[in-house]
Amino acid sequence: MSATQILLSQATQISQGAEAAIYKGRLSDSGLDEEDVLLKYRFHKGYRHPTLDASLTKARVAGEARALLKCLRADVNVPAVRMVDALEGVLGIEWINGKSVRFLLGGGAEDEEVTEEMADGENLPEDATEELEDQLLEYNVSSDEVMTMIGTEIAKMHLADVIHGDLTTSNMMLRLPSPSPSNKTELVLIDFGLAYISTLVEDKAVDLYVLERAFSSTHPASEPLFAGVLKAYEIRMGKEWKAISRRLDDVRLRGRKRSMVG
Amino acid sequence: MEVYRYQQFPSHLATVHVALFDNVTNADELHARLIRASTLTGSEGETEREAVNFAFIDARLIASIQHLKAAVYHAILAATQGGLKTKSVHSEIIWTLNPTNNITEALRRYGVSASSSSLFVVRVDRPLDGLVERLSTIVHGTLVPLDSLKDMTNWDTIKKHYKLNDEPAIRNAAGDKDVERRKIDRIVTSSVATKIVMG
Repeated sequence: MSATQILLSQATQISQGAEAAIYKGRLSDSGLDEEDVLLKYRFHKGYRHPTLDASLTKARVAGEARALLKCLRADVNVPAVRMVDALEGVLGIEWINGKSVRFLLGGGAEDEEVTEEMADGENLPEDATEELEDQLLEYNVSSDEVMTMIGTEIAKMHLADVIHGDLTTSNMMLRLPSPSPSNKTELVLIDFGLAYISTLVEDKAVDLYVLERAFSSTHPASEPLFAGVLKAYEIRMGKEWKAISRRLDDVRLRGRKRSMVG
Repeated sequence: MEVYRYQQFPSHLATVHVALFDNVTNADELHARLIRASTLTGSEGETEREAVNFAFIDARLIASIQHLKAAVYHAILAATQGGLKTKSVHSEIIWTLNPTNNITEALRRYGVSASSSSLFVVRVDRPLDGLVERLSTIVHGTLVPLDSLKDMTNWDTIKKHYKLNDEPAIRNAAGDKDVERRKIDRIVTSSVATKIVMG
């Protein structure tokens, strides 16, 4: 068994998707100060030809690592990279101590069945807002502040020409205030598995549109919330905002995909 | 000295010994000795190479222990996968620390040089006894705890080598030294960790 396979076998699996499995582990088993790392394992896909599978996995692990590094340089809050094994398809990143924005805004955990939430009669809109503020209390931020942080982080990312590709409230976390790194709650963008580099206004507008749709499908009465995101985004983007705003209006009319007719 | 164990690696690469020396007085001799060891032939060469079979790293260019450990980890990983770009796991650590692929440049910048006064000494092996005594005959200096690094790092040189001066992460820190250093550390540690896929 390869070193990285042994590493995974000693780690705890915490979730599993179609593309990758997520583990919590430690690179070294000595030293009291040894920190936890999150290991994202793009496992072998039996339905693909082995050669194609290996090259796709390698390219995607490398792409994700590169996007994270570019974001770190651009001052976007993202997890730092701890290890990469492109041959085995494993990316090890810093463990973020906190919860997803989706969860904190009362959108439920991702795995939760929608029907369950509906059946739960206590989740009336008014109560939900109160509940939400309770959950955010631990982080010492209001929901408006969270929206501002989201808009600012996305703007910093777009200014560096990184397109996330899958912006949802599940792919954003609030990191608990702790002595390090900054003593205040930070919003951290995660999952750069679909990220790519682009300078196009179209790609940035679609990135925002995807998030807008994610907001409206997971969080009831999200319009004022998303308006807060856009406001902060506009301020940070400066003169680049106008073109993106105009394009976002177009995208809203036609959807994510451009018409290729004609 | 600290010892880190990595169960996932084969036993001859699973134990990492890290010592930090300050007030090193024989850096130039050590540098000359390493060069000589590499050119000696026969059994004399074997013995001498084993005697100095360590990675000697200039501590001024190391941002944190995390940074150093990331380089060590990827050097060992490369060794287990037959992917070493240099001759040994120890020289690979030094190569991994440098942002470019140039081996000579990496050794010149990150290895021991005449101007080094603080040194990390790293040995990747099975658990070894009596290493501190052995090292004290090779490196003339004071053995200090690893957290003494915080007074040794030369942040300006790190920023220069990694071309960080114009990056938003540094500009946004707006001169706040603590924030800036934390960000530099995150960037260089992540750069070292991703080096094998950047090429």
